[in-house]
Amino acid sequence: MEFPKNLKYTKDHEWIDAQDKQGTIGVTGFAVEQLGDIVFVELPESGKHFKSGDSFGTIESTKTVSDLYMPVSGKVVAVNTAVKNSPESLQSDVYQNGWLVKIEMDNPSDVNNLLDAGQYEAFIKE
Amino acid sequence: MTLSSTAAEFKNTPLYDLHREAGAKMVAFGGWMMPVSYGSVLNEHKIVRETCGIFDVSHMGEVRVKGTDARKFLQWLTINDIDRLMVGAGQYSAILNESGGMIDDLIIYRLDDDEFFICVNASNREQDYKWIKELSSRFTVEVEDESDRWAQIAVQGPKSLEVLRPLLTTNDANRLEALPYTHIQKTSLLCESVYIARTGYTGEFGFELYLPIESAQKVWSGLLDPKAPTKAHPIGLGARDTLRLEACYLLYGNDMNETVSPLEAGISWATKLDKGDFVGRAALLEQKSKGVERRVIAFKMIQDAIPRQGMKVFFGDKLIGSVTSGSVLPTVGGAGGMALIEMGTKEGDEITIEIRGQQKIAQIFKRPLYAARTKS
Repeated sequence: MEFPKNLKYTKDHEWIDAQDKQGTIGVTGFAVEQLGDIVFVELPESGKHFKSGDSFGTIESTKTVSDLYMPVSGKVVAVNTAVKNSPESLQSDVYQNGWLVKIEMDNPSDVNNLLDAGQYEAFIKE
Repeated sequence: MTLSSTAAEFKNTPLYDLHREAGAKMVAFGGWMMPVSYGSVLNEHKIVRETCGIFDVSHMGEVRVKGTDARKFLQWLTINDIDRLMVGAGQYSAILNESGGMIDDLIIYRLDDDEFFICVNASNREQDYKWIKELSSRFTVEVEDESDRWAQIAVQGPKSLEVLRPLLTTNDANRLEALPYTHIQKTSLLCESVYIARTGYTGEFGFELYLPIESAQKVWSGLLDPKAPTKAHPIGLGARDTLRLEACYLLYGNDMNETVSPLEAGISWATKLDKGDFVGRAALLEQKSKGVERRVIAFKMIQDAIPRQGMKVFFGDKLIGSVTSGSVLPTVGGAGGMALIEMGTKEGDEITIEIRGQQKIAQIFKRPLYAARTKS
């Protein structure tokens, strides 16, 4: 399984693509594979602020409900309604069209505390 | 997000290795490691509705009751009317405690005038056997827990007969084709001696096979023969749950337990209060005369959200009960489930389900949510 090198990762299986102040957030291919069919995704409204580690939504498979956690603190500026409307699309594309929210980060340097692709890959093999 | 991992110390069915080889995701269920899915729960659900899927349900328990008093004993032990059960037929029933609460729901097959074969839930097997054994002491019967000797494979879906046919002699295939719903027959499958029943837990036409554990791998592989004219697919417990939920078949531990009576669970049709005395009958009669205060209903979500077991159910501002089973409903569409709620609502009424702090609107529907095609 490949993990894009340009992204940062959390141990809770979220990824973030940081570009200046903006961060695009999603869940990893590993998480989606573990969950199985994704049948429901609940996302916050734009404008809401979350601290790092806060639950900003949920992702549900047929049998499980999992919280989504903010990798870094920030304010939601965009929500992917396409994923909300067809959660099954996450199965085929988690890193491009499968993004969940975009945030304006409080401190863009916070991403330096997250895992890089190699560290995340090592973590899930544990 | 947090992904759960499973611990060790569970029993394996004789098909465990084959499931692992097939890439199944295994989960703990009722003390067993069972396949939850071989890939996609939704796809597996669809396969059973449209063609044919096979399930390893070897975790289920089997108890044999025989002897001169067997009929009399089971008539007293169970809620349904054994006298209406002819040799070769099966009957949905339940065993109750003295307070009328359900110890288990089960299927009883009558193999002979004084010999019965009972299929019980995996998680209840030990306590069922203990209860049955204890109550049998006043009767001339032998009660034996044969669970360790039997594997069980369910073959479910409109193409089930075509999937089984290549494994049977022409004569046995014809006998199977003529087997009425709920009936059971002994037959030879790939030269292995098995019982086949026209029953299931999916709402589709299909069969349940009881086979000696030594025969399980051979039959499972035979059913999945890639060269067979009609292909079957392995199906995990994930789809088994969404299939049974659409058909509104109850799941012990979710939709009923020792504090829920069969009248509350909505299986009055299998509860024969006028057949004579049976364990729990007095409590049921009292409940009936006072008026049943709650019942298991089916509902569908109006607002987008997935109900889950344990979530609170409201009617207006009033808390009236909780969700007993909830999920997406792949064939019916949307999401829904069953709930145990106080009397005072009717079909069509809007209720709300508290989902992560928010009240989401749902509507009460007539059971079942999916009309079973078991008889087609």
